[in-house]
Amino acid sequence: MRSRARSITTPVAEIPLAPHFGPLWWGGLLVALSLVGLLGLTLVSSLIFGVGLWGVNIPNVWGFDLINYAWWIGIANGASLFAATLVLRRHDLRTAVNRFAESVALFGVICAGMFPIVHLGRPWLFYWVFPYPATYQVWPQFRSTLTWDFWAISTHAIVTTLLWYVGLIPDLATLRDRARRPLAKRVYGVLALGWRGSVRHWSYHQAAYRVVAILVLPLILVMQSTVAFEFATTLVPGWHETRLPLHFVATGLVQGLSMVLVIAMLLRRFLRLERYIDDYDVELLGKLTLASALVCGYLYFDEFMAILLSGPRQQIAGLNRMTGEYAGLYWAAVVYTVLIPQILWIKAARRSVVATVFVGLGISAGLWFDRFSLIVGGFQRDYLPSTWRSYAPTITETGLLVGTVGLFAALLLLFVRFIPVVSMFETRHDEHEEAS
Amino acid sequence: MAQLFSRRATTVFRASLVLGLVAVAGAAGLGYVSSRSDSTWNVGKPAPQPIPFRHDLHSGTLKIDCRFCHVSVEKAADAGMPSAQTCMTCHSQVWAGASLLEPLRSSLALDQPVTWTSVHRLPAYAFFHHGAHVSKGVACETCHGRVDQMAETVKTQTLSMGWCLDCHRDPVPHLRPQEAVFTMDWKPHDRDMPEDVRAFYRAASQRLTSCNTCHR
Repeated sequence: MRSRARSITTPVAEIPLAPHFGPLWWGGLLVALSLVGLLGLTLVSSLIFGVGLWGVNIPNVWGFDLINYAWWIGIANGASLFAATLVLRRHDLRTAVNRFAESVALFGVICAGMFPIVHLGRPWLFYWVFPYPATYQVWPQFRSTLTWDFWAISTHAIVTTLLWYVGLIPDLATLRDRARRPLAKRVYGVLALGWRGSVRHWSYHQAAYRVVAILVLPLILVMQSTVAFEFATTLVPGWHETRLPLHFVATGLVQGLSMVLVIAMLLRRFLRLERYIDDYDVELLGKLTLASALVCGYLYFDEFMAILLSGPRQQIAGLNRMTGEYAGLYWAAVVYTVLIPQILWIKAARRSVVATVFVGLGISAGLWFDRFSLIVGGFQRDYLPSTWRSYAPTITETGLLVGTVGLFAALLLLFVRFIPVVSMFETRHDEHEEAS
Repeated sequence: MAQLFSRRATTVFRASLVLGLVAVAGAAGLGYVSSRSDSTWNVGKPAPQPIPFRHDLHSGTLKIDCRFCHVSVEKAADAGMPSAQTCMTCHSQVWAGASLLEPLRSSLALDQPVTWTSVHRLPAYAFFHHGAHVSKGVACETCHGRVDQMAETVKTQTLSMGWCLDCHRDPVPHLRPQEAVFTMDWKPHDRDMPEDVRAFYRAASQRLTSCNTCHR
């Protein structure tokens, strides 16, 4: 039995231990790393020359910085929420997708966390938002959204890392045992924290994993609502809405799901993991994405109704989003996040790599358009017509966005290279249960 | 197969976890202490001056009033530094040829101010008004210490924002009657301020600690 349990997951364990990884991976990493270089360049120039390099100015005090932040944190929230739900429900799908869903969440947080720090203008003083006993004897302003960002992102980073790492420990031990090179053995050995697989270890591990997963659920809802409240507590038309937390949480979920779907399909294809991420898993992911896209559609309808029911200023601002300068982005958001996912009704589309990757990336792009439309649209028709100005990103801001995409891709590629992409111990557990 | 880790590995790992935490706590403690230390704020550290002016002699021994040299201290934001003419009131007669006073004589001749180095300079974003403080009963000594005993002028207080706020949050214990503002080593005859003064500062504490009271 023992040897059979081992052999089940051999192909998964062999991926990170393979001595060579092929030109495709190297090529991908090279492209991703060059984008990370671009990120470094734009970050450093934003640091040296300041946020004057960005297109933000009164009244558009928030631009790409907050659009990208809200977008990345949405991906992270959606993926975390999804992964934690699967752990708690002990759902079959968790064996296939949990590991990379958690990774998507973690990498999303890393990309998101950068923006609120650089957008401070004086990022080297970012620790001022932390309540520490400073010599100037003033606590941070707890009514300021800057401190909310700090608590939201740090909490998010901690629980996401915990969920990711706790779920990884038994698999790191497997890699330690299977690794052939002494250095790999030692590195995986230290990371496995002395895991020996005793019954006591397993019992502690199960408890810890579930406790972290339980922590994730309310925290993610609170954190995503916090991001939404940062907009809602301002008076900007279109932002000052009680429906905003719901909008952010629910659209974040479709964002996270679509990213998990894309990565599931790509891993399955490129690493030949059809046995672990099987047709059933992919089907279920496709259906979940479709369902959450429908929820997204409902939210757009709700947004439209809210605009109609609100005051005249909000109506002008709302209609401007649909007919004004950036109307194309608003409608693109609707098309990409609601209409195009409808092809997932077709079974063949749910199983096709091209179709799902197209739909998944489309949803992510669509949600980015949605955040852009929301953030820029509010300012374009503010209460003072004399300040009605538009916003366009500069090349530095675009570099930051593209750079974080590169960082995300690079982290994913490194993850695929060094860490088992599918949870081996969960797979063994499920196969064992089925066999007995 | 040989063992991957030695027997001591677990102990070393646990110890380094604990030591890591201790190091973080220690670094935090060190930061707390050093950010409050006098050396961080240059307390007690004299600055190089063009003329070795002695407050202990002028203010202490000769009992010259603060306002004789710092003329605008009761009216303006800046206390004011004496012009060469002010110094020459006496030094055209006393120590007239002293080489130490050469910068003073050239200042007079060239009509250029003497380039004193400030030891109490506040950052540009902090607005401080000497006149406001003096007229409310904040004594020279409260912030500048026993200047009448200083051979070299030094800071005796940190002048950190927290130090300012210590007084702004509750000014009454630090205030003196108007006639004692320029005295040194003043012992309060009666610590209790009149009730109307207390009531005034209870009401004023809100605006005394507003950001824009000092950061305008």
